[in-house]
Amino acid sequence: MGQLTQKLRISREVTQQVDLSLRRELKSESACFFKGRRILVANLRDTIGSTLFLSSGDCLSGRGMSWMQAILLARGLSRGWGGICGAALTGAPFSQVLPQAMRGFHCSTATHNSEMSLVPRPPEPRQKPIKALAPHEELFRQGPGGERDKASFVRAVQNFGQHNVRKRGHVDFIYLALRKMREYGVERDLTVYNLLLDIFPKEVFRPRNVIQRIFLHYPRQQECGIAVLEQMENHGVMPNKETEFLLIQIFGRKSYPMLKYLRMRLWLTRFKNINPFPVPRDLPQDPVDLAKLGLRHIEPDLSARITVYQMPFSNELTSTEDPVQPHIVGIQSPDQQAALAHHDPARPIFVEGPFSLWLRSKCVYYHILRADLLPPEEREVEEIPEEWNLYYPMHLDLDYARSSWDDYEFDIDEVEEGPIFAMCIAGAHDQVTLAKWIQGLQETNPALAQIPVIFRLAGSTGELLTSSGLEEPTPPLREGQEEEGHLQRQQQGQS
Amino acid sequence: MSGCVLFLRRAAAARACRALVALTAGRRPLRTSPPSPSFAKELFLGKIEKKGVFPFPEVSQEELNEINQFVGPVEKFFAEEVDSRKIDREGRIPDDTLEKLKSLGLFGMQIPEEYGGLGLSNTMYARLGEIISLDGSITVTLAAHQAIGLKGILLVGNEEQKAKYLPRLASGEHIAAFCLTEPSSGSDAASIRTRATLSEDKKHYVLNGSKVWITNGGLASIFTVFAKTEVVDSDGSVKDKMTAFIVERDFGGVTNGKPEDKLGIRGSNTCEVHFENTKVPIENVLGEVGGGFKVAMNILNSGRFSMGSVVAGILKKLIELTAEYACTRKQFNKNLSEFGLIQEKFALMAQKAYVMESMTYLTAGMLDQPEFPDCSIEAAMVKVFSSESAWQCVSEALQILGGSGYMKDYPYERMLRDARILLIFEGTNEILRMFIALTGMQHAGRILTARIHELKRGNVSTIVETVGRRLRDSLRRTVDLGLTGDLGAVHPSLAESASKLEENVYYFGRTVETLLLRFGKSMVEEQLAMKRVANVLINLYGMTAVLSRASRAIRVGLRNHDHEVLLASMFCTEAYVQNLLSLSQLDKYAPENLDEHIKKVSRQILEKRAYLCAHPLESTC
Repeated sequence: MGQLTQKLRISREVTQQVDLSLRRELKSESACFFKGRRILVANLRDTIGSTLFLSSGDCLSGRGMSWMQAILLARGLSRGWGGICGAALTGAPFSQVLPQAMRGFHCSTATHNSEMSLVPRPPEPRQKPIKALAPHEELFRQGPGGERDKASFVRAVQNFGQHNVRKRGHVDFIYLALRKMREYGVERDLTVYNLLLDIFPKEVFRPRNVIQRIFLHYPRQQECGIAVLEQMENHGVMPNKETEFLLIQIFGRKSYPMLKYLRMRLWLTRFKNINPFPVPRDLPQDPVDLAKLGLRHIEPDLSARITVYQMPFSNELTSTEDPVQPHIVGIQSPDQQAALAHHDPARPIFVEGPFSLWLRSKCVYYHILRADLLPPEEREVEEIPEEWNLYYPMHLDLDYARSSWDDYEFDIDEVEEGPIFAMCIAGAHDQVTLAKWIQGLQETNPALAQIPVIFRLAGSTGELLTSSGLEEPTPPLREGQEEEGHLQRQQQGQS
Repeated sequence: MSGCVLFLRRAAAARACRALVALTAGRRPLRTSPPSPSFAKELFLGKIEKKGVFPFPEVSQEELNEINQFVGPVEKFFAEEVDSRKIDREGRIPDDTLEKLKSLGLFGMQIPEEYGGLGLSNTMYARLGEIISLDGSITVTLAAHQAIGLKGILLVGNEEQKAKYLPRLASGEHIAAFCLTEPSSGSDAASIRTRATLSEDKKHYVLNGSKVWITNGGLASIFTVFAKTEVVDSDGSVKDKMTAFIVERDFGGVTNGKPEDKLGIRGSNTCEVHFENTKVPIENVLGEVGGGFKVAMNILNSGRFSMGSVVAGILKKLIELTAEYACTRKQFNKNLSEFGLIQEKFALMAQKAYVMESMTYLTAGMLDQPEFPDCSIEAAMVKVFSSESAWQCVSEALQILGGSGYMKDYPYERMLRDARILLIFEGTNEILRMFIALTGMQHAGRILTARIHELKRGNVSTIVETVGRRLRDSLRRTVDLGLTGDLGAVHPSLAESASKLEENVYYFGRTVETLLLRFGKSMVEEQLAMKRVANVLINLYGMTAVLSRASRAIRVGLRNHDHEVLLASMFCTEAYVQNLLSLSQLDKYAPENLDEHIKKVSRQILEKRAYLCAHPLESTC
């Protein structure tokens, strides 16, 4: 059971990561992040295949403009790839690709926020380095004490409509509004997106003849429309009939935003529920609740019980020696409890971790209590009791087995792993905290008092550390002490 | 009343020799392999074993008279003095009712006369069961007492144990209970926790543990208790094995919980029984030390067939009651009896009652034969068929009655509640289906071993023969197993039904062979297939029983035998179609075989422990 648990856990992690990378992919078509001298090739290879490979060595060797060229190539290729696909699908001219790629290059040199690649950055430092504010920025400026919520966002949008009867500069305004949405917390609100689309003047950009239809009619406006849809897609907002109506009114039925809309209608529904282990959209803020969620997420057994061994508590005034008490939340299933009760006390068990678990944009770290796999010669053969079922024979006394014709078992090489007895998520990853967890476990698992517990705490968490928007992982306490075993005989008296 | 008892005793004494037969039968040593295979086991090989089945077992005229004289007073008592509604409401059987049951001798129906019982044969026991069935609580109380509670003493008890306990049990002075089920152990004997340890002087065992859902637990003073004991094996190793004990309440340390509040059979006493350091003398070990498992199995297997007659009794009563209603209630200026959908229900009830009666008395007759083969499969089939028919028919009867069936003022809702337990106790129907199918498969598998080995090894002549037979089978050749024809066992007016049975039996035999070839000893895991095998077998046994009974009815010239022929051919046709479907579902590539889908659906549900489909009002926008 424990082995199965671990297997499942790993498969969940993989799904988790795939899910994450999928979402990243949606966010930026070429997820190339630059930050000073660091280059992170996050999931470029997924996006544009093996055509482009950036090794950080090449980039950091300082050979003049080579990294710039690389970016250019990356942007261009990915755009080009999208463009080719688009062209192949819609018959749009290929010539559209290059200018876009060029602009993409210009944009990416600005301070980069990985969020919306289709939304050009407002300050274009090369050309207008002095100007600080984007046009229409004043509409979003708040009075003192002004709330940043949906109502004020809607008010800003309406103000634009009122002040600008001719809707001059509406594209710039929409780009600005798109950037501002997160601040106002309306990035998942469909009505707001529809409101933004409503800013476009109607009927003006609709192609009226064959020539206009063949060539991209009002490209800047169409691209802006696509950007709105793109941002909706990134936040998983499904467009509705009103969106469709607006797009038809603005750009006509045969236009790129409309194509994008149709694709979203098709694919968003397919991808919305693709994760078999869904994570709630709004994660709990309380670390204990988040830990509970995370543990439920990686524990396949639904009868497993969550125990809070220690509530978070910080008080510098009363306690002198232990000012901060981190939370400890653990999970254990009845099967794991039984397996631990049957564990041979002569064999040590291990506390291992921290392992990372991503829940949307948050990362939590968990530890496991596990044992090594028994060597084959020591495993107990599960014997079938002679007198077992009072009503019907549990095994037939025949000397021929299932024919290969009915044997559906695939030939799978299974890697057996040792059993996992419990998991926990704690506020700190040091041995003192985890020893408290083990002590708490002893209350429900008396056998644990007899079993030696070895702490194998890794120094590195093994994940890329990023600072933006993620929970800051607690720095590992004992750097460089990886895999150093601390044999600690847990004695009854200690607990 | 005492005169009546006197009469019963005299009547019983008149059949001393027949009772002796039953007695020797009861004393038979326990054995696993019967002398000759039973009818049902032969069906697995595609054969019909006519001996014991055709002609339908009969009783002699004087025996018949005796039975009828037995039945009279008991029927009168149940009709006039038993208030089932009160028993159900108050949750207990009144003491005076119990006393009268005792004085009628109903607590010792199958105990031999030398120990003061009535010494009834299985057939007579079944007949009396029909009458007793009029009250569910009394039926269950009596069954728990004698069908399982004291059955151990009858089957494997030694002379001293019998002489000591049976007389007082037969008179009803002591009531018996059967203590096997535990909180952690239903049908899993390995997880029994109750333990009996031998004391230092080796004179007695000390019994500790708790049993749950013990019928008569609060009334009984004699318990058949199953507990784990340490037994030294032949190779010197110490093992835990189950042993049966006779425990008297007076041994001390026996307590019981309060009666459970149940859905149906509310008048029967069901409660927990606790044993705490109860000292049981070693003379009270039932059977051998460590032989408790077989004792338990034999007790459970022996008592099942009587449920058929119990249910038949209920159904016959129910048909009378509902027919009365249907013929008097008017809707749209018509009696209910004139509506086709109501008529259909009566035909169904009559057919079910007829089939289960036939199956029960056929089985009872087989059991009453000297040197009868092991009939536990037949008994289990009777139990499964009758309990399911009971539920279905009582439900249909409620349907005829409409709203009044649902009201507590009428007895029907009580009958429905009482009938529900029949599918659960004495082995749930699911478990019994596995028993029926696997026991037969074991028998067929042993006999076909050589053939299957040859097929697996690729013996050319066997393969060619098998393929040739398959080809002939696919052309639908007519099957003749000797039921019809000039010297056939079945009356010519039922020839059509008989040939349906023969065809089913033949193809069933083929299917069994295929299943053995496919699954071998891993058959145990194929529960869905086993269920179908059991269903086919139950139908085949029912068909045989009605054909045999109806043929006899025609030949003897019983009243309304044309009605019997109608019912018989109706059931045979229905069963034939059902069997064809089940057999095709057992075929691996048949479109009817949905096993893989069923397994997949349930696996997905059980993984999440919930219904998975999105709500119909949900959308992705």
